[in-house]
Parts: sequence; C-alpha cells; structure tokens
Amino acid sequence: MSTAIAWEMTSADFLKLRKRRGTLIWALVLAILPLVIFFAVNAIQHASDPASHGPAGGTANFHDGLRLLGGVFFGPLVAILIGVEAGTNDVAAGVFRDLVVTGRSRLELFATRVPAALALCWLVITSGYALVLLGTFVFADGTPTPDASLILNGYAFVLLATGVLCVVAVGFSSLVASKPAAIIALIAWQIVASPLIASIESLGSSRNIVLSQALAHFSPLRLAGDHGTELAMSGSTAVIVIVAWLAIFLALGAWRTCTMDA
Amino acid sequence: MPLAALDPTPPQPTLEGLAIETRGLTKRFGARIALDGVDLRVPRGSAFGFLGPNGAGKTTMIRTLLGLTRASAGSMQLLGYPVPTERAKALTRVGAIVEEPRFHPYLTGRENLRIVAAVRSPETFQRIEPALARVGLAERAGEKVKSYSMGMRQRLGVARCLLADPLLLILDEPTNGLDPGGIQEFREMIRTMVEQEGRTVFISSHLLDEVEKTCDAAAIVDRGKVITQGPIAELAEGGAHHELIIAVDDPRRALEVLAGLEQVHEAGEDDGALRVVLVDGPETAAAINAALVTAGIGVSRLEPVRHSLEQRFLEVTSRLDAAVEEVPA
Repeated sequence: MSTAIAWEMTSADFLKLRKRRGTLIWALVLAILPLVIFFAVNAIQHASDPASHGPAGGTANFHDGLRLLGGVFFGPLVAILIGVEAGTNDVAAGVFRDLVVTGRSRLELFATRVPAALALCWLVITSGYALVLLGTFVFADGTPTPDASLILNGYAFVLLATGVLCVVAVGFSSLVASKPAAIIALIAWQIVASPLIASIESLGSSRNIVLSQALAHFSPLRLAGDHGTELAMSGSTAVIVIVAWLAIFLALGAWRTCTMDA
Repeated sequence: MPLAALDPTPPQPTLEGLAIETRGLTKRFGARIALDGVDLRVPRGSAFGFLGPNGAGKTTMIRTLLGLTRASAGSMQLLGYPVPTERAKALTRVGAIVEEPRFHPYLTGRENLRIVAAVRSPETFQRIEPALARVGLAERAGEKVKSYSMGMRQRLGVARCLLADPLLLILDEPTNGLDPGGIQEFREMIRTMVEQEGRTVFISSHLLDEVEKTCDAAAIVDRGKVITQGPIAELAEGGAHHELIIAVDDPRRALEVLAGLEQVHEAGEDDGALRVVLVDGPETAAAINAALVTAGIGVSRLEPVRHSLEQRFLEVTSRLDAAVEEVPA
C-alpha cells in the first residue's frame, strides 16, 4: 500500500468517525463535562469557604484533573467509545463487504482504522487536557502551578494511556465484531475487573499484567510521589505489558478481519 | 437515469475470453451444500443472467466469486485472473452489489463514495461526480443516505460500482426497490454498458422477465447447481419442439389432414384451436397452411408458439422438484 493510499484510507476512516455524531458528542461530554464539574465545584467551595477549601486550580488540582482524564474513568471511556466505533462501524453498517470487494487487502482495511481512531481520540483528549490546564492556572489563586516539564509529561501520559486503550479497543471490537458486546466487555474490564484484580494482594506480581497498572507506571503523579493505588513494577515490565496488550489485540483483530465472512 | 459519459477515456475491454469462469465450484456450510460443483462460463461483453428461485445459491455464488466467503472446492477466474490467488488484480476492474446495497446512513451519498474511492485508488476520486450524474443522483448527493429511498440506494450502489470503471459488474437482484420507470431506466443503462462500452454485466435475479429483457445469456440455477446455461433464446427453446397454434373452421378434418403431413410430429385440439408440434422449425408453417387450404379448410389464425424463459425455468426447476420427490428420504 502506497503512502498516498494509506493517507486517503485513514482520512476516510477518520471521516466516518468524526461524522458519527452520537459517538463524538458522548466522547466530548465524557472528556469535558466531568472536568467542568470538578473545577466548578471546587471553585464554588473555595469562594464560599476559603479557609476550609483550597483554590480549585494549582498543581494539586492538576493532579486530580490528570487522574480523571488519563487514569481513572473518563479518558479511558472516551478511548473505548472511539476505538470500538472504529473497529465495528463498517461491519455494523454492512459496508465492510463493499470495501472487501474493491480488492484491497483486509489487513490494510484493518490497519487504517487504528490511526484514524487514535487521531480522533487524541483530539478529544487534547480538548479535555486543555481544560485541565485552563482550570489549573485560572483557579490557582496564588498556589504553585505545574511547570512546563510536568505539563508535557502530563500530556504525554494522557495520550499514552488513552491511546493504548483506544488501540486495544479497535483490536478487541474487530475481534468480537459487535459494538455493544465490545463496549460492555471493555468497560467492565477497565472499570470493574482491573481495580478488583489489582487489589487482590494474594495474586502478587501476576497483577502486573493488568493494563491500567502498567500504564499508571508512566503517570507524572507517580514520579511526583503520588502512588495512589497503583502497583509497583519496573519500567521494563510496564513496557512489556503494554506492548503485549497492543500486539495481542491488534493481532486478534487483524486475524478476525482477515478471516471473517464479509 | 441520465446516461452521461462516465469517463473521457472509456475502458478498453477485451472481448475475447471469459469474464467469469468456474469449474466445480463448491461451497458447503456444514452439511449443507450451497454450491454443488458449479461450472459457469460468462462471455465478456455480454449481460448475463444468473437465474434461480430464492435460496438457489445465487448470492452464495456471488459472495464466493468476490472472495467474501471461501470456496470449499473448485476453481474460478475473474477477467482471466485466478481467484483467490490474484483476487486483488481481478477486483480492480470489478464493481459489485451484493444483496442490498448498504451504506453508512449518517454520511451523504457523496461521502459514502469518497470512502470507497479512498480504498480503491487516488484517481478514483475523479469518477465520483460522473458516476453520481450517471445514476441521476448528482442533485441529492449531498444528502445523508438515511433519507434515501430504496431505489436511490440502488442507484448509489451502481454509482459505487462505477467508481472501479468496471470491466465486469456483478449485481445481486439489482432492480429490488425500483419502480417501473426506474427498472426501465436501469435496463437501458445495463444495455448501454454492454453494447456501447463493452462491459460485462452479471445479474443475479429471480425475476425471469427482467433477465429475459435485459440479458443476452443466462444460467438457470437451483439447489446450488447450474441446470442449464446459454443464450436466452436457446435457453427458452430448450429441447422443445417448435409448435404452432392454428384456428380452422373444421378442426376434425384439419386433424386428419395434419396427420398425413411429414412436417407434423403431433397435433391435437387445444382450447378451441389446434396445437401442432412440428418436426422441424417454424419455416414449415407455410407448407402446413398450404396443405390445409388446399384441402378446403379455412384457416383464420396461424401463429408460432413462443416459449418464454419462464416456461423453461419452471420446466427445469419442476423437473428437479420431481426428481427430489422420487428419491426416498
């Protein structure tokens, strides 16, 4: 596949995703609304009782915003929604067979879903991150604010955390070829199963295979000494776990796309 | 559908050889055989009907040809390329509608074509507007497909096929959802593609009349087997004798005269007239007429019986039904 065709195919996949209004609106709502509520509530509390409640901005609240967007819930939800949409929309619309009969290889059809999904996911996440920065500085009220290094590290972390999950969602949803099933399974894994498994101490180091734990290793909060509930693991282990998740689900998604009856 | 020129440099079709050729093509779904050793030969530059009742295996045949599902056995070629070995090369110049045309409903007609153009090749983008114009959708290409009628979706499906500048179009029940005017326009478009542009059009259908009016040749398929194939006229005639319907003023005497003629194989009364089965072709009708008139019998009507594809279709499929009934379970 030439670069020109890869670009056109990725653009076409991006067009399908960005025109999918329902998914896009939900993704934006999930990326932005919780942060708006977070900063608004903190700002109101600080304004009404400054002695008991600190400013809504500053580094401490930057950390919380980062956790909301990159680690805990809303960022991953955005990544799952967009990744699953990218992985299933052709099959769900019945258009996949019309793409297959062009003679284009199924592997190429699968491959271009990934950058398109990443592009939209990161656009949405970037808008959320911009809001985190806005709240952090506007409501700082004289408290310390993150330096450029922390800002860049934070941005890299949310891109990594949501990007990896988005790619896994593309692969997994291509494998199951069902949008509802893929969304339910991935959210259940991310929101329920992953924290649960990570909390079972008797599982020991085998808990390192949980993706969200490996991703958390690269959080700037961890570097800042805020370990939260994350497990301790080496950098190389975290990288291996992340790469393994990507490789396995991309391979499964590609295999299913190449072998399914269209 | 206005027949605007699609491309200033029309395809250079090779009329030699076959557009589609299959040998012993078989497709099984578990124990069920959907295609049973199909040998099909579709000549280039023709409209070819793939005719069969619902469930006969028409769509499975198309899906197998296009690589949407794998054949269990046998071999096939599209435009001279072996499939699936050189499937990508073959499909470069093939346009296809499989079952009903499907689109992303939240995208416009034009955007849906852009998606397929992106998958085909960069130069395909230039064919989007001519293709939309050709199927009469240029004015409404900016509307979302979810607002389109079934007929408009069929047209958009044909436009999507035209993006390939196809040497071979494979259309599965293409007139579904079209009104009578649309069917007529569609038929004209197919004939133009075949006669003026040298394209090959393979149409699967259960509508006998449609195939008879649109196609040059056809195959009749039932229960996964090709029962017979060839030019439409030959198919309609099948192995049947030529027949005449003759209305006379004295049927009893006419039957006596006809019994003595060497051109007559068999004659009998049928619904107030005589039905005469000829030994040879319809050119012997004049001699028969002369013999009756010479015998003093008044002939008020003499016309050859036209065998329709429908009759032939019912004949071969009912023969299969009978064969199945005879086989003990």
